[in-house]
Amino acid sequence: MNKDEMIRQAISAWMDGEATPEEKELAEKSIRENEIYRRYAHDLKKISAAMDRWEEEFLSPDLVQRLQNIGEREGFSMKSLFNKLNMNFKLAGSLVVAVLALVVVTHMPYMSEQSKGVDQKLGSPGRPMEKLKQQVQNLAVPTGAPVNLNKPSVSKAVGKPMMASLGIKSEMRVAESRTVLREVADQAYMTTIPQAPWQFNQTQPGNTEGYNKVEELSFKKVTESPLSTFSIDVDTASYSNLRRFLNSNTMPPQDAVRIEEMINYFRYNYPKPERSDPFSISTEVSQCPWKTDHDLVLIGLKGRELDTANLPPSNLVFLIDVSGSMNEPNKLLLLQTAFAKLTNQLSDKEKVAIVTYAGNAGLVLPSTPGSEKSKILMAIENLRAGGSTAGGQGIQLAYQIAKENFIKGGNNRVILATDGDFNVGASSDAEMVRLIESKRADGIFLTVLGFGAGNIKDSKMQQLADKGNGNYFYIDSIMEAQKVLVKELGSTLFTIAKDVKLQIEFNPAQVKAYRLIGYEKRMLAAEDFNNDKKDAGELGAGHTVTALYEIIPAGSKEEPGSVDALKYQQAQVKKSDELLTVKLRYKEPDGEQSKLITEVLNAEVLKAKIYSENLELAGAVAEFGLILRKSQFKGNASYQQVLDTLKNLSSEDKDGYRQELIQLVEKAKALDQAPVQGIQFKQ
Amino acid sequence: MEQSDEELMKAYQEGEEEAMSVIFRRYQKKIFNFALRFLGHRADAEDATADVFLSLMKSGTSYQPEAKFSTWLYTIARNACISRLRRRKNIFSLSFKKASEENSEWEIPDIKTPDEEAHQKDVAMQIKNAIQNLPVSQKETLILRGYHALSYEEISKITGHTLENVKVLIFRAREQLRQDLGSLLQEVQS
Repeated sequence: MNKDEMIRQAISAWMDGEATPEEKELAEKSIRENEIYRRYAHDLKKISAAMDRWEEEFLSPDLVQRLQNIGEREGFSMKSLFNKLNMNFKLAGSLVVAVLALVVVTHMPYMSEQSKGVDQKLGSPGRPMEKLKQQVQNLAVPTGAPVNLNKPSVSKAVGKPMMASLGIKSEMRVAESRTVLREVADQAYMTTIPQAPWQFNQTQPGNTEGYNKVEELSFKKVTESPLSTFSIDVDTASYSNLRRFLNSNTMPPQDAVRIEEMINYFRYNYPKPERSDPFSISTEVSQCPWKTDHDLVLIGLKGRELDTANLPPSNLVFLIDVSGSMNEPNKLLLLQTAFAKLTNQLSDKEKVAIVTYAGNAGLVLPSTPGSEKSKILMAIENLRAGGSTAGGQGIQLAYQIAKENFIKGGNNRVILATDGDFNVGASSDAEMVRLIESKRADGIFLTVLGFGAGNIKDSKMQQLADKGNGNYFYIDSIMEAQKVLVKELGSTLFTIAKDVKLQIEFNPAQVKAYRLIGYEKRMLAAEDFNNDKKDAGELGAGHTVTALYEIIPAGSKEEPGSVDALKYQQAQVKKSDELLTVKLRYKEPDGEQSKLITEVLNAEVLKAKIYSENLELAGAVAEFGLILRKSQFKGNASYQQVLDTLKNLSSEDKDGYRQELIQLVEKAKALDQAPVQGIQFKQ
Repeated sequence: MEQSDEELMKAYQEGEEEAMSVIFRRYQKKIFNFALRFLGHRADAEDATADVFLSLMKSGTSYQPEAKFSTWLYTIARNACISRLRRRKNIFSLSFKKASEENSEWEIPDIKTPDEEAHQKDVAMQIKNAIQNLPVSQKETLILRGYHALSYEEISKITGHTLENVKVLIFRAREQLRQDLGSLLQEVQS
């Protein structure tokens, strides 16, 4: 902003009485000394005057009736209004006649309709009067708007109370006959109207979003359980979902916050894998930002990048939910745009088929080379929503098409786009999961794209992706579609390793206790690590995966979750300077035998606290997640600390994701501190 | 003495149902005009107004009087309008050629009334058009300031923009109006 702009902005704020002392001084000085700014201030006044020419408008009788219906249906009556009105009438006196005439004129069009069916519509004797009163009230009460609109005298007259007029009475009959329609319409809005911050989404009637409860992992003592085993998770849906909540000024439900998915939304600068391994492992340690006597350990994986020229050929089947519930702009329309984006990336090497499901599953487009873009785009554009959801059949058919067009050594994948509501046809959740699991053996992967709000079956979609050798993304906007389906298409669609499991062994000589942050749904038993039959997460090309452990150092006096000392065993601690060992197992995408990689983190790193921005970023994201989850482990976590950390990062924020995160943190901070906070939904 | 909004809401929560009807009266015109100026479209504004009051009825019992009622209600109104805007935008703009122009998400289609030509001289019409053509974030802040006389702090709470951004947005909106209205400003008496 240049100096001139700064001065003008100061003047703008100053004229609103909202200038800081510095701005005030700047504005006054500039106006005093410079003709240009005097004229500017004058212009602002003129703008304000010009704005006043756009006068307030009155509510149409139709809207008045709608509002009244809302009020009555929801329960308040108009009983005491009459008394208050009477008082007004006495004051109104002289204007009544003029206004009466006006009202009759304005209501003429409505009068003609009323003669039909007046009688049958008559309610209790008191009712018409009440309606009348309400009608009068609408016009009677000056709004007290702070803006002086220089109203013409006619509207001033209307702004006073008036006596009964036939016009009003008759109008009510007509309006009443519309009530039923309106009610239906109003109910329909309810499912989509935006949420105010105090309306916790889950308690909203009509909101059927489903989240599985997330039980946070607690601290584990190293002497009791030195091994921590989990499957990697590359999903990022939770982050885009909570972004949707915050952007609509609502705090996300706690269980919608999965910290590992937040952390993994961001890309970290881990070294590229060397040798033939499909990924590199990085480890770092720093002080824990929200609990300074604890440490924070980062374990980062980076998958091998695939050269675009060497991408394996793909056999993609789009499985698209076109059931009635998808018929919303943020669902089917967004979905169509997203798939069009994806289609634009395709070449000869890819084949695309489209299967839809709603009532019956159907093949909309047989497997078609990616170079025939217009054919594919046409099929996408022609999708229409309607009917119920036969998700099971759809999945069956999609996998069948994928199998028929199977490319050996290629990327065979079903891409499921849905709001997650599988409610007709094949199946309970469990059945669905079994179906998907059985298809996994065929070497077909699954990508789940979640759409929409209000009906998101987050838990179900996550589970499907998990069981189907797949990944799950939540598409809340065109931007997100761009990220998942264009920018990061490689990691979304090309798996470079499957069943990736991590097992961390902590050294009790260095670490007293540890806590894995997030990954609650990904925990594995220690013995699952070496069991190749046990399914785990997939890693896409170029993908990074990050896990954080909060650890209590060996010297600490803190006693997390104390269990009595064992009576018959004595822990033998081997003297070692190692802090922990990371063991990693993975399979090649088409392999069945796992491979093992091991990496040791030395305690010296812990003492030296050598770490990079990777850990600072991941730590800040985790801290934000802990606050949103209202975690019992959040310690001294604060929005401000998260913001400070994020703003101090110096590496390039190429895609602006970090900037967006900063905005979300600020938004959450404001929502959390707003006076409306603490308002609880009744229930 | 006239009861404050907060007192009325408290009374309503304590079972005095008619208190809500006073709230309705007090705010329906304000909210409708807010929506009308925001959306520039009467039918949409009516729908948004109905959304707001339906929402008020559904959640009124959970309102806590520590919060300033008007800020609370304007937040609902603002969200209702934005939801309408998005819906409209989505309906208007689904075209795959445009799919890559993702940043246009917030623009609304030009609102031109049929008799726009005839009214070109009309100050009110010009100001209406100028305001309609503002980007949404500028428009909402300017409307809340100019027509509802809310403080920057209240506007910040309602819109979720930071206080600093509210200041900038209002300033930018005025700059834009100054540019768009140009010659017209010479005629207006301030």
